[in-house]
Amino acid sequence: MIKLEHVDKYYGSFHVLKDISFEVGKGEFLSIVGRSGSGKSTLLNIIGGMDKAESGKVIVDNEDISSYSDDKLTLYRRRKVGFIFQFFNLLPNITVFENISMPLILNNIMDEEKVKNFIKLVGLEGKEKSFPFQLSGGEQQRVAIARALIHSPEIILADEPTGSLDSETGAMIMELICGLMRNLGKTIIIVTHESYIAQYAGRIITIKDGIIYK
Amino acid sequence: MSFFKLLRILIFRNIQENKFLTFLSIFGIALGIALFTGVKVASDKAIASFESNIQGIISYSNYEIVDISGIDFNENIYVKIREIEDNCFPLLQTFAYVPELKDSVEINGIFTVKATQFLKLIPSEAHFSNPESHSRGFFEKYNFDDFYRQTNAVFITKNFAARHAIKKGDIFKAIVYDREYPLKVVDIMDSDILITNTIIMDIGNFQEYFGKTGALSKIDIFTDEHNANIIKSVLPSNLRIERKENIFKNQTAIVKSFRYNLQFVSLIAVLVGIFMLYNTVFISVVKRRTEIGILRSLGADKKIIIMLFTSNGLILGTIGSIIGILLGQITAYFSTIAVEKTISTMYTAITIADYGINVKDAVISLLFGIIVSLIASIIPAFEASNIRPNESSREGSFERRYAKFHKWFFTSGIFFILAGIGISYIDYYYAPFTAPIFAYTGIIMLIAGFTLASSFYFFILLKLFRIPIKKVFGIIGEIASGDIYGNLHRFSVALMSVAISGALIIAFLTIIFSFRTSLNKWIHKNITADVYIKPASCRANYCFYPVSENVIKTVESFSEVSGIDKFRGMQVDVYGKKIIAGFADIKVKREHLYKKYKDENYEMILSEMEGDEPIAGISDFLSIKYGLGKGDKLPVYTPEGIVNFKINDVFSSYSTTSGFVYIDRKWLKKYWGLDDTTQFSVYLKENVDADLFIRKLRDSLKLNYSFEIMNNQELRNRIIFIFNRTFAITYVIEIISIIISLIGVVNTLLALAFERKREISIIRYLGGTWKQITQIFLLSAGIIATSGILYSILLGPLMSIILIEVVNKLSFGWKIYFSIPYHYVAAVSILLFFTTLLSGLIPSGVARKIDPERFITFE
Ligand SMILES: Nc1ncnc2c1ncn2[C@@H]1O[C@H](COP(=O)(O)OP(=O)(O)OP(=O)(O)O)[C@@H](O)[C@H]1O
Ligand SMILES: [Mg+2]
Repeated sequence: MIKLEHVDKYYGSFHVLKDISFEVGKGEFLSIVGRSGSGKSTLLNIIGGMDKAESGKVIVDNEDISSYSDDKLTLYRRRKVGFIFQFFNLLPNITVFENISMPLILNNIMDEEKVKNFIKLVGLEGKEKSFPFQLSGGEQQRVAIARALIHSPEIILADEPTGSLDSETGAMIMELICGLMRNLGKTIIIVTHESYIAQYAGRIITIKDGIIYK
Repeated sequence: MSFFKLLRILIFRNIQENKFLTFLSIFGIALGIALFTGVKVASDKAIASFESNIQGIISYSNYEIVDISGIDFNENIYVKIREIEDNCFPLLQTFAYVPELKDSVEINGIFTVKATQFLKLIPSEAHFSNPESHSRGFFEKYNFDDFYRQTNAVFITKNFAARHAIKKGDIFKAIVYDREYPLKVVDIMDSDILITNTIIMDIGNFQEYFGKTGALSKIDIFTDEHNANIIKSVLPSNLRIERKENIFKNQTAIVKSFRYNLQFVSLIAVLVGIFMLYNTVFISVVKRRTEIGILRSLGADKKIIIMLFTSNGLILGTIGSIIGILLGQITAYFSTIAVEKTISTMYTAITIADYGINVKDAVISLLFGIIVSLIASIIPAFEASNIRPNESSREGSFERRYAKFHKWFFTSGIFFILAGIGISYIDYYYAPFTAPIFAYTGIIMLIAGFTLASSFYFFILLKLFRIPIKKVFGIIGEIASGDIYGNLHRFSVALMSVAISGALIIAFLTIIFSFRTSLNKWIHKNITADVYIKPASCRANYCFYPVSENVIKTVESFSEVSGIDKFRGMQVDVYGKKIIAGFADIKVKREHLYKKYKDENYEMILSEMEGDEPIAGISDFLSIKYGLGKGDKLPVYTPEGIVNFKINDVFSSYSTTSGFVYIDRKWLKKYWGLDDTTQFSVYLKENVDADLFIRKLRDSLKLNYSFEIMNNQELRNRIIFIFNRTFAITYVIEIISIIISLIGVVNTLLALAFERKREISIIRYLGGTWKQITQIFLLSAGIIATSGILYSILLGPLMSIILIEVVNKLSFGWKIYFSIPYHYVAAVSILLFFTTLLSGLIPSGVARKIDPERFITFE
């Protein structure tokens, strides 16, 4: 499903990712762990088509997305990828309902029933009309999860989804993600530096100073 | 469509939320478009009216015969011409003034029998029995009975009747030539061809009633080139046959330059409005960059982002334009009045009855508004589309992207500025077009250049003053200057708002001041007589109809009079263009000059003019247009052939924009065979009270004549008044542009404050008080104001030099002494400084009101 071959990434002269190669199978649940600043987010962004590597190949479904144009990469993100961020990244001026609808709108496949179902699924009934700033952190992350899944992407990328939540809420969120994943059979990569989170995963990769340790 | 859904939830809602900002930008654009529309409508109507004035009442004639000097001529020639071309139509016409209606009219003496063919007027059968015209029975029949029988009978147009509520049978008094005459309205014509203020009279009655026996003003002809050439060969040397087309071309060119000027100034207003729109969209992009990054990460492509933010600007721009068009109806009304008055005093009496905006004008303005708002919003929209999907995680990267371009922007800015100056210089020297198009372009380039260079300029300035600011203001200074330093691009947009405001103000003040100074010099030199007299029917600066001999005799008979400068205004041909010639009694002027104006050099010039050689003084216009100078010859077309006048003086003449030549009266007699007077001035003996004399003179003239008599001071005041009135519209437009730009300053600072919610809350979080936040805001506003005003001190004078030295020179043929009113500029700069400071206060107040819960939880 996803295959990285000799990926290098620099920020200026700073070598962030060094010759990274690994593979993730379809339906696999992978966790990337490592210290702060080790390059986890950078790696995830490259897989998600939000950033580009300087060299190496990123092959998704037999296509090298590192050779994609900006437009193709955008399309890739829109169709195939669902993101969950540490700081939720909800659009602040639109409602919960609209935030969750966004991927459907962008893909031009708006379906109100589906949105309602997902709201129920993540347990946010009654909050449809609320704005993000009226929600707690955990609730906001639920919105983000619904948004990441609603357009049925094949790949889910989560960058420290519990990083800004207390451990109890974090555990609830992880339960929610894992529960949903198991049913849906998606490929999922979670970045975290809290090792207890990693236990949910089928496989763990450790990254240190831009180098992978399996 | 998903785009519209996105538009609704992402853009519309945002527009609604920022009501005040939205209102300001819409208002700014609306004002700009309103001015643009109003000025366009007014100048279009003025030109149309001017054209139909030249065309005259016979709308389809293609040639006309007139005297080369624009004076009336002997009717005998008509018989000859009729033999060659029957389609000819003699006219006797004059402008008159109706004091009770406060309106000017053009009285046309028509050959009634022929008029029935040309004007499609149908008399009642009893008086006219042309079988052909009876077949056109569907035209209205007018009361020709009274028209013939009563010498003062006139027809007026339906529009004129409506405007002044005049009915059939009414009598009103008009000042015609130098007397007042009652005119009786015997019928009202329902005709589309005639312009509103046309009055028609039988030519025989006209000659009889106004004492013009045997005279014609022109003969309109409908003929082909062949016959025109034959006619040409039989005309005496004082008459000329000319194609109407050529006359249009020559005459409208002058009015057009006036129009371009107005339109350019209104364009500046639109530009300022558009700059505001750019600010609004730009700030909105900066403010929402995180959101844009999120949208990008969710897979929104560049195209959609561009479309969304372009629509943002387009929506504001379109609403603004629509409101602007509605407001434009009001501006059109006032501009029309202003343009009408200006053209009437500067060129020829015109009246514009209709100032309505038609669908075409509205569509043009709307399209214009939409196109410029498209341009204004597409730039920030592109910036928006360049925001990377992971932008959100990297604060400040947006600014850093610009930092790379500062130098590049600066270089191209300098290039634009130099190019702008260069291109204006081309106009200064070569003037490739009649309108100063290059200079206009140059000014726009100048503004563009300054805008491009602004961020680097701000950067350098901050670099120099950051440390002193810290020293003086402590921690507050550190935060404020650091804030600006880190967000240079955004803040330079605010700086530019202030700079444009300041530059407009400086340019405006400088122009008015320079004009004033020049005009005062001119008045001082030229208005030297004690009493000025001209026919009350003449509303323009120069009069062309002679006054009665008796009047001059009456004036001469007063013992108080020391000398009379009899002046003859006339149109003469120079290089195929009509200019105004003033024939004066130069000896009288020279001998009395010393009382008000001492200048040996000027006295020398005048005494040269009195000599036996034909000598003339010319206005700047002629020296600018034809490169003439002292010692050159000016070829003037006279009934005796072309006479070369030697030029011994080049002077400013602010009373006309079509060129003026000043000649001694003796040449009028010699080459034109005339010795009449169209207006005159009187020098009184020592110790005579001018007002007392005027009272006596009025008493002796009032029974038979209508004259406008003024003393020296009154005329001076009047000249200044007319001058101000002429430029009132330009002033108003400029003031409105300044207002728009001030709104822009408030708008930008406000937008910046909204954008800095985050910083505010961080400062709050770190324990800063609201008072400190207010101080930071004030200090930032102060830094922006100071830097902006400094910048405008560079831009403003540059703009005014081009406006005065190039635009004015080319448009009006006026040389104006460039002088900066330092005191005013200083005073207004201080005012601008406090205005900006105040607009820095508003946002801090507003920021405080912003739902605190909302942005504190946001952190
Ligand atoms: N845009 C950028 N420019 C320069 N350096 C960057 C940029 N983005 C990341 N870096 C650097 O690259 C390194 C890896 O960053 P990254 O965000 O991938 O780390 P991370 O492993 O996700 O850390 P954390 O656990 O704190 O989120 C860091 O040292 C960071 O400073
Ligand atoms: Mg990270």
